[in-house]
Amino acid sequence: MQTTLSRCFVLLGLSVSLLARAQGTPQSGGDFANNPEAHKLPSETILVKGAWSSASDSETPVPEGGRVANKVFLNQYFGLTYTLSPDWTERYTGPPPSDNGYYVLAQIRPADTFKGTSRGIILITAQDLFFTPAGNALELMNFTKDKLNADYKVEQPPALVRIGNHSFVRLDYVSPVAELHWHALATQIRCHMVQFVFTSRDTKLMESLIQEMGRMTLPVEAGPISGRGGGEVPVCIKDYAQGENVLERIDPLTAERRFNPVPVRIIIDKEGKVKHVHFLSAFPDQAKAITDSLFQWRFRPYLRDGKRVEVETGIMFGRAPRQPTSSSAEAVNE
Amino acid sequence: MKTMKFASVYALLVALFFPAMAFAQTDPGVRSNTGVNAGQPFASVSANANDLAFFQTGLGQFNEHQTVTGDNPGLGPRFNLDSCGACHSQPAAGGTSPASGVFPNVGPNPQSQVIANGVVNGSTNTIPFFVVANGPVREARFPFFFNANGTANTNAPNGGVEDLFTVTGRADAGACNLPQPSFNAARAVNNIIFRIPTPTFGTGLMANIDDSTLLANHAAQANNGLGIGGTFNHNGSDGTISRFGWKAQNKSLMIFAGEAYNVEMGISNELFTQDRPLPGEDQLGSGLPANCLNLAGIGYPEDTTHSDGTSASTVTSDTALFNVFMQFLDQPTPSTTSPGGATSIANGRRLFSAVGCAVCHTPSLTTQPSKLTAGLGNATANLFSDIEIHHMGATLVDNVSQGGAGGDQFRTAPLWGLGQRIFFLHDGRCSNLLCAIEAHDSNGGEASTVEAIFDQNLTPSQQQDILNFLRSL
Repeated sequence: MQTTLSRCFVLLGLSVSLLARAQGTPQSGGDFANNPEAHKLPSETILVKGAWSSASDSETPVPEGGRVANKVFLNQYFGLTYTLSPDWTERYTGPPPSDNGYYVLAQIRPADTFKGTSRGIILITAQDLFFTPAGNALELMNFTKDKLNADYKVEQPPALVRIGNHSFVRLDYVSPVAELHWHALATQIRCHMVQFVFTSRDTKLMESLIQEMGRMTLPVEAGPISGRGGGEVPVCIKDYAQGENVLERIDPLTAERRFNPVPVRIIIDKEGKVKHVHFLSAFPDQAKAITDSLFQWRFRPYLRDGKRVEVETGIMFGRAPRQPTSSSAEAVNE
Repeated sequence: MKTMKFASVYALLVALFFPAMAFAQTDPGVRSNTGVNAGQPFASVSANANDLAFFQTGLGQFNEHQTVTGDNPGLGPRFNLDSCGACHSQPAAGGTSPASGVFPNVGPNPQSQVIANGVVNGSTNTIPFFVVANGPVREARFPFFFNANGTANTNAPNGGVEDLFTVTGRADAGACNLPQPSFNAARAVNNIIFRIPTPTFGTGLMANIDDSTLLANHAAQANNGLGIGGTFNHNGSDGTISRFGWKAQNKSLMIFAGEAYNVEMGISNELFTQDRPLPGEDQLGSGLPANCLNLAGIGYPEDTTHSDGTSASTVTSDTALFNVFMQFLDQPTPSTTSPGGATSIANGRRLFSAVGCAVCHTPSLTTQPSKLTAGLGNATANLFSDIEIHHMGATLVDNVSQGGAGGDQFRTAPLWGLGQRIFFLHDGRCSNLLCAIEAHDSNGGEASTVEAIFDQNLTPSQQQDILNFLRSL
């Protein structure tokens, strides 16, 4: 009997491996034989980057600078620390920021050691509110709800919730055909909507993950309609680099005419000079020309409670400049 | 008795271990039971005798084989093949890479047959290692120029097409003596990438979508909760959205045709007026040798408008006829029942949208009014593309920059006609849909979350519905 069983397991193993081969091995369509030569270019490495994110210095934290290390997602720019659940991991980092200010900060998935029956995904993103029509995270979540296509059914429209000591706006929706749920929780930090999106078929798993968010660290300013900087970080003001706030302006001279949007965040010091330039998306020649130009700009120092404070704002180059909005006027008169 | 015991124990173990795997999803493969569902002109073209004649003449030119001299002159001195229709043939003229063993059995990779067919001289040309009979038609590019010691110089991006063959040794090529590029040397330092032909069905509709429609679609997908950004490539001259080619680098079908005629076949035309040297030949400052120029003996450009023509078809240049042919090609017709049945396909379509594939693979966009033919105007183009370029990450990066697209950015591949395509992704590395989907999960890629939802959060049955839907297109 033991021999029979052994033979069966061998056959079974063979069957499994054949099936795996039939389903898993794609046809190559060509000869990609390895060769032993040295000095090869590294494979699967992005060497030619096109428009990408960059900054005028490497010390000042930037939104895309967060990392998962030792099971903790840490983002210095947002003052955010999020401990991953056991058996969850970041397999891949996200793409660079988009030219409309959308960031993938982390993509968290079950690790190979995950033992649960249902799986899920945690996506941590940010949207720069300087480069979207929405005025705050609550407005943007309402926009998301309104734009959901017919495949989804809203389970809970945007509503303010509190988890631990933190306030969020929460939107739940479901795809009945996929039997998948999306629970999105957003807060606002430094004029960005920072969002945690949980996707799974298992709502209990999702709720347990959401409750764990109570343990994460967020700055005091975070909230669905607050999060406008200040304190330890610059005050963020949409469209501050407009009109009478700009005392001196030198337009950048780029050698090559391109047509890509170039969203830029700058930090203006208490004297009205630019101290930091962050490009969400720009070609290197564009970044150099714009940085050289911005360091020559002079702004009206911003006053809060009669004291000069640092200001963070956004400028879109490469397109017709945005018209000042009511929010910028209000901010200047704050 | 011993055999029976063995069989029953084996059957029991199979029953215990295989139930989930029995439902594992598979790519149904090229749809072969609905006939060829692409390659026809718009009904409005067929209904107009002049337009139909134009289309048919364009089709004839598209399939014509060029030679260095003679009635169809201008081939070379470097080229990838001698006819548009040889590469763009699956499942019909205007399509993409064919295969002889897959419906509708168009034939083996024509690049693998160039010596046998006498298109190139076998004593002066060899078939490159990446061209095989059952593989895709390919063009090759070297992402970087080379250092003197043969390594890639990453400070000197190249990315131009390295034509596979030369006319050297052909009876009609005179004394022109050109070597093929060093593909093996490029492989040795991993400095070579490939592209396969993009299908052209429905491209007239794509050309006729206004920028405002594309921008509105882009805005509607903002904050999608799936990690997807996206942007557009732009034409360097007027700043409008460009849309053709793997990186959306070409503004119009006319430019697409003129560039392909010049780059892929070596034929100068009214848009690209010189014979084209390789990027390295230009870098060295030499260009093409004098005895390889004007091989046709007719001067430049080799393809022109014909002032002695007697009708629209005979006045028009080859390049403009290619443009007409592609503009008038209708979009492929999907099946509502095959493969997998109507219910599975309908379910797959909804799942495709629900898991987020449709954020980039936009199911349909509406065209603007058309002066060319009624079928192109105010029409629903079921292209399954947003015509944006997206970061696809390290798995698919080819380190070639075109226009505003960087090394890992590619246009969302239109999926219409997918059911009858054989090879997938820009380099044809996959001939199985699951392979192509898996490649979307990548370090630095925008599609990773969506791929992970497909891969880890759908049931095998749901995955199969999506595959059936894709093969119904």
